[in-house]
Amino acid sequence: MTFGMICLQLLEGLGSSTLIFLLTLVFSLPLGLFVCFGRMSTWAPFRRLDPDWRTRAIAGVSPAPGFKGWLSRVKPVRAIFVFFIAILRGTPLMLQLLVVCYGPYYLFGARISTTWRFAAIIVGFVINYAAYFAEIYRSGIESIPPGQWEAAEVLGYTHNQTFYQIILPQMIKRVLPPVTNEVITLVKDTSLAFVLAYAEMFTVAKQIAAAETSFAPLFVAGLFYFIFNAVVAWAMEKVEKSFSYYT
Amino acid sequence: MILEIKNLHKSFADLEVLKGISLSVDKGDVVSVIGPSGSGKSTLLRCATFLETMDSGEIRYLDRAAAWTGEEGKAVYLPQSELRRMKSVFGLVFQQFNLFPHYTVLHNLMASPMVVQKRSREEAEQTARELLKRMGLEDKAESYPCQLSGGQQQRVAIARALAMHPQILFFDEPTSALDPELTGEVLKVIRQLAEQDMTMVIVTHEMSFARAVSDRVIFMDAGIIVEQGTPEEIFGNTAQERTKRFLQNYGD
Repeated sequence: MTFGMICLQLLEGLGSSTLIFLLTLVFSLPLGLFVCFGRMSTWAPFRRLDPDWRTRAIAGVSPAPGFKGWLSRVKPVRAIFVFFIAILRGTPLMLQLLVVCYGPYYLFGARISTTWRFAAIIVGFVINYAAYFAEIYRSGIESIPPGQWEAAEVLGYTHNQTFYQIILPQMIKRVLPPVTNEVITLVKDTSLAFVLAYAEMFTVAKQIAAAETSFAPLFVAGLFYFIFNAVVAWAMEKVEKSFSYYT
Repeated sequence: MILEIKNLHKSFADLEVLKGISLSVDKGDVVSVIGPSGSGKSTLLRCATFLETMDSGEIRYLDRAAAWTGEEGKAVYLPQSELRRMKSVFGLVFQQFNLFPHYTVLHNLMASPMVVQKRSREEAEQTARELLKRMGLEDKAESYPCQLSGGQQQRVAIARALAMHPQILFFDEPTSALDPELTGEVLKVIRQLAEQDMTMVIVTHEMSFARAVSDRVIFMDAGIIVEQGTPEEIFGNTAQERTKRFLQNYGD
């Protein structure tokens, strides 16, 4: 196989990798915000079991004792999201891809088609990255000075107006550096799709390398990842610059 | 009566910060609240502006109750939507300005009238530009808050509060975060507002300013109003030992 042929096949694989990359970003960036809301939920349906729940909202107050006190503090939505984020961050993405793909087979005996494999790849990547983005968003929201909430509240903004008009725009600026990190990791993580027999670039490179007993295809693939990420880093820097009109 | 507070109590955990504060502010009044740190001055303003929830007592704006003590002895507030509408009666100027950093100065002044009071863009912009002129900041309309000095930021914050056409303005130590040479420009603006008969409640450590600008001075300590009176009564010849001791710490 000529060097040109190798590059062509790798570029085709790069197209498949890029497809995973783009679909994952398109769905996980907004989904992350939704997960972040769940993670930050303060809904405690039994809080009225504690007669002093209002004053206990302030830091430094010892919690109400006993089972009732415990129940009054239970935040079910937050707990669910904390649990799933822990799973998604605490286990390998490769394992998650396998579970998403073959879980339905073991549970319901569903047939595994090629389309299904691809859908599983996207679903697996999206929920995994949404979990990471959610925690990044949360750190961004919590880093906004409370004075911003208070100023808007005194002016008569509703909670939603304050969040979407005052907090979210400032949050986006603050989370851009860590989001860039994740996006660059995602470029390289697309190679994990090989576990579901998807011909992304690194899978193609390994196949050619084995057939030709040559290291060159792997090296070229590495170069392509590097160039891809250079473009990502450049684009994200542009985005960051577009937010630099205020501090 | 623009603002009336009756027997307001507020505790944080086991610490009782306000132990029954009663206070009324009439149209055109300029009231200064002075007292040592931790005396509850800021908490009083935060309760009056609904940033904190009082434990019991009564808060009335324009002779309408916003919150009162319910049958169980705990504070009951108006429903959120009505409470929010009542917020247009007052404005609050923070110690830390709290301008919206991602908006230009002009946008800071226009946003809340448009979003909250549904005023038209033209009307909001006209009001905003007039206010900037009054503040001597007409050339800063397109600047962002981070490009302004602390004194300029605080004047923008005052303008932002005024853009909502409030009937009473609260100031929470408006000059405490400023370099000493920048306090003058902010105090001058507040003095101008006083001359225009703006109703104001000012929590401050600037004693000579409080003396010069106020109709009434309230001295608070340890969660109670120790005494209140005209500036002459408080600064001139107070009978209260506690007030005397506090004022001695200020050279003026």
